[in-house]
Amino acid sequence: MLKKIILLVLVVFFLYAGMAWAQETIVFWAMPNAPDESHLSWLEKAAADFKAKTGITVNYEIVGWGDAWSKISMSLIEPICDVSQVGTTWNPQFAATSGLEQIDINGFGGADSFMAANLESTTYKDNYYGIPWFAETRCLFYNKDMFEEAGAVPPTTWGELVLAGEKINSKFGTGRAFAMAGTNAWDLLHNWAILLWQSGGDLLSADHKKATFNSGAGITAMQWYVDLVKRGLADQACAEYNQPQADSAFINGNVAMCYMGPWNIANIESENPTLNYGIVEPPKGPVGKGSFSGGSNLVVFANSKHKEAAKAWVNYLIEKQVLVDYTKNLTHMLPAKIEAFEDPYYNTGVWKVFKETLSYATAYPPLGVWGDIENAVVSEFKNILSTYVNGKYTEGTAKEYLDLAAAAVDRALAKEK
Amino acid sequence: MHLFIQKIKKNRIAYYLIIPALICMILVHILPMLWGFIISFSDLDLYTISDWSKAPFIGIGNYLEGLDINSPTGGRFLRSLWNITYYGIAVISIGYFIGLGVALILNQEFIGRTIVRGLILLPYIIPDSVAYSVWRFMFQARIGIVNKYLLSWGLISETKVWLVGDKSIYAVMVASIWKGWPFTCLILLAGLQTIPFELYDAAKIDGASIWQQFRYITFPLLMPITSVLLLLSTLWNFNAFNQFYVMLGDDPGVAAEVPSTLILREAFNSFHYGIGAAMSVILMAIMLIFSILYIKKIRPGEVEH
Repeated sequence: MLKKIILLVLVVFFLYAGMAWAQETIVFWAMPNAPDESHLSWLEKAAADFKAKTGITVNYEIVGWGDAWSKISMSLIEPICDVSQVGTTWNPQFAATSGLEQIDINGFGGADSFMAANLESTTYKDNYYGIPWFAETRCLFYNKDMFEEAGAVPPTTWGELVLAGEKINSKFGTGRAFAMAGTNAWDLLHNWAILLWQSGGDLLSADHKKATFNSGAGITAMQWYVDLVKRGLADQACAEYNQPQADSAFINGNVAMCYMGPWNIANIESENPTLNYGIVEPPKGPVGKGSFSGGSNLVVFANSKHKEAAKAWVNYLIEKQVLVDYTKNLTHMLPAKIEAFEDPYYNTGVWKVFKETLSYATAYPPLGVWGDIENAVVSEFKNILSTYVNGKYTEGTAKEYLDLAAAAVDRALAKEK
Repeated sequence: MHLFIQKIKKNRIAYYLIIPALICMILVHILPMLWGFIISFSDLDLYTISDWSKAPFIGIGNYLEGLDINSPTGGRFLRSLWNITYYGIAVISIGYFIGLGVALILNQEFIGRTIVRGLILLPYIIPDSVAYSVWRFMFQARIGIVNKYLLSWGLISETKVWLVGDKSIYAVMVASIWKGWPFTCLILLAGLQTIPFELYDAAKIDGASIWQQFRYITFPLLMPITSVLLLLSTLWNFNAFNQFYVMLGDDPGVAAEVPSTLILREAFNSFHYGIGAAMSVILMAIMLIFSILYIKKIRPGEVEH
């Protein structure tokens, strides 16, 4: 009898162990792309649906943007995560560490399936190390009520923006026209790069060997940014803002214009749903249009023991219906997959503006040393703003600091392997 | 040697008891420090981080760069050392005088003294992240209470941006002094209570004024505790990170850059682990000097009485 019981226990044990073995589990990190409550319930539903189809369990976790860089860096060394969201500008840097799995893009619908700028952000040395998930770009949000009261019209050029700003200032007071990010913004470069491209400049030479942003166009773009404060269109306090502070100045209805992204629409809906706002493409600069292409990609870690399962999860997330649901109904981002734009929703209202802006948006060059480059430019950018706050800003200030940044960028580029 | 072994045998239980702590110390402190020391001689960066043992050995290259005033990182590191010294001198000295003043008041008998003693500790016990976040709000240019009051008192004519540029280090100093002086006060109060009353009685009989009593009794007898306090404060302030990070962000700008924020940025944001480790070792060496002074000071039998 005892023998039978032991045998039964052993059979049950091995059956259970066998089942557990067959049930693959992957760890997925996403950033807070939507308010946690709705985001988590969406992920729970998606993970359950995915498990029903494949038998693979997804352990998802929302990782704050502040912790994401260090957590992902850790995961490149220790196998603690299988698949993660990464910002588009991070992808090539992480790829350079050899910690990311090289991707055969044909296994995800092929290169033609994705928005070109987002796909480029997944590359490093002409190979793919990620799959574009969703896209974002920044447009000019404006407060319709303030514009109407001041008799201003939405601007399409820099000059018109100044005219509209002056009208708003004369109606509502100095500093009420525009909100912009200052020294506390980690994404300061994203705002300035738009102005640089609109001025006909570029960050680097075509061969990515030399910094070119300290050219005349760079100085024009920097001067324009600082002038927004000097002219009184933006409050001096903007010098200390981070991007969310600038956003909230607009969302609260204090300021009439701000460069913001599609993710801010969810903030407006929750913080100030009565705000009467409109969105226009970034006003053209002296040379023409320009906009920034950002967003997020999905990467599989090279040290993952469940690479195929992780890739299956990525394929699930970029399925047309799943992606449209995630971007349209949850995050208000824009899908990075072209077929998702077939949804009529993206041809209506503000989404049409975002879609149009994204069509000419530029991505940063996919370089391993991009972090150094961005840090160097942002650091000197902050010095320019500090110099202005210290009352020591002169005509040569922008050139002086941009030259310093360019020298640092050239040193970083020399290290690119 | 025989005597040494005998001594160990005699205190066997004591050694057994400290073994767990010793193991933790080695794992948590000594090994990471050694690892940091080793990688400070290597060019550990983005390309070698996934296998750090393959990072090229570059000798003292990172140290030379970290101390070269003409290199961007070196220039910034040396400036950060100057900033932290300047910040430390201001915060420690002003905090000391406030702490001493309040300790002298609290050393007097008055109704509610115990409650006041408890209340003054509030800034010290509030978590750094909370306290410095509140100070950050208070110093904000547009909505901050600091500008509001300075304007209403007529001390400034227009709002000032406190958290950017040259003035930012002073904003952090104010917050740090507010946060740190209660501890100084508490320690000095404990010191004041060890001074025998007889000394003051004798001085009074000799006709000593209040100032003379302070000058010739209180201050000299507080010197031993003051020197320990100053050494400890120097160590803590050289390591200052929370106040700068919370109030000014991970890049506080040239005028308020301190070694901790620079090391964090270089090592963990930019993947320059080698240079980050070298700067940490330099900082550790500087603090080691203060630590040796501190240990000498507190060693039993060497405290001045």
